Amino acid sequence: MSADASDLSLVRRVQRGDKGAFDALVLKYQHKLVKLVMRYVRNPAEAEDIAQEAFIKAYRALPQFRGDSAFYTWLYRIAINTAKNAVVSRDRSPIEYDLDRNSEESYDMQGRMKDSETPEGLVLTEEIRSTVNAAIDALPEDLRTAIVLRELEGLSYEEIAAAMACPVGTVRSRIFRAREAIDRRLREVFEGGLGRAEELG
Amino acid sequence: MNEELDSQLSAMFDDELAPEECELLARRLSRDEQLKARWGRYAVIGAAIRSERGVLNAALAGRVSAVILAEPALAAAQGARRAPARWWQPLAGAAVAVGVAVGSVLWLRAQAPFTAAPPSAQLTATVSVPAAALLPAAAAGAADSYVVPRAPAVRAMVPSTELANYVVAHSVFSSPVGRRNLLSAFMASESGTAAEEPPVEPEGNVR
Repeated sequence: MSADASDLSLVRRVQRGDKGAFDALVLKYQHKLVKLVMRYVRNPAEAEDIAQEAFIKAYRALPQFRGDSAFYTWLYRIAINTAKNAVVSRDRSPIEYDLDRNSEESYDMQGRMKDSETPEGLVLTEEIRSTVNAAIDALPEDLRTAIVLRELEGLSYEEIAAAMACPVGTVRSRIFRAREAIDRRLREVFEGGLGRAEELG
Repeated sequence: MNEELDSQLSAMFDDELAPEECELLARRLSRDEQLKARWGRYAVIGAAIRSERGVLNAALAGRVSAVILAEPALAAAQGARRAPARWWQPLAGAAVAVGVAVGSVLWLRAQAPFTAAPPSAQLTATVSVPAAALLPAAAAGAADSYVVPRAPAVRAMVPSTELANYVVAHSVFSSPVGRRNLLSAFMASESGTAAEEPPVEPEGNVR
């Protein structure tokens, strides 16, 4: 299995003029990128703006992307540079990563209080998190272990197969079934109660 | 939704799908909104499990998509950027080809072996090869032998005395440089190839 084949196939499509493929890349990396940018700016809304700018810069620079590095590595560098430039231009000093680790809770509160546009968004986010956590708790042990090892620990299918003493194909199936179970729960909650399913994906 | 397709989508999301399958699925993913929404939810699930800070909705993706939609497609934009530079490319190619050809000819001329006779004499020289030299020894009735071929005598065009006299007599009408060159050529011809030309005689066999 070649690493980054998935991203590369989407990138090649974008380079050939398929804008829909870029949507898939944005959907996949938007959360990671916002998290990354929030090391430099306190305000989540500002972090989203910077992430948006980084994505647009990446799109415009994509013809120059040759695939020598992984797409996310390349995107990561663009986002870091965009965030640094934004901080410099707004005359703010970047937040040290260690600081927010030491005072995670107070930092979160500070960030949230400054987030002018997301009271509803924050509620939605909390609802999503609690739904996902409840769905994970309800999963059979083998599915839960597989999805947690994948998403939380970032292990490859081969590593998970070794850890769980099962074939790679079984790991693939378990991760897929875990995702489907969680996704089903999410859709039930948001389509039934909140009517904001379109905001999820 | 096809379960096998969703299973592939999940594997592709984790970069665990074969490249050729990725190609096919990427094509479908870019066009199928339902599949794209599922892909987006897989990302949300991952972010929720990792407790990533930030808002877990797709407002950002929607905004980026709106901006990208207003932009020209990359292939078209690249084509537009390249178009102005294209017109001179065939001309440049032709110029390079002509340059290489001219350079090669000049180089070959410079590398050609030096010949005693001036170019004009070479052009008009007649090579006289004795008929006997062309005939096989057996045909001449001689015994088998190793024949050392004699170098063919080159008979350069020798200007006649009348011509030389004519040039001298009419020298007032020619430029000094041209006259000097012509007279030098006459003298070289007179004292060189023509004077040393051996009498033509049948070739003999050398043992």
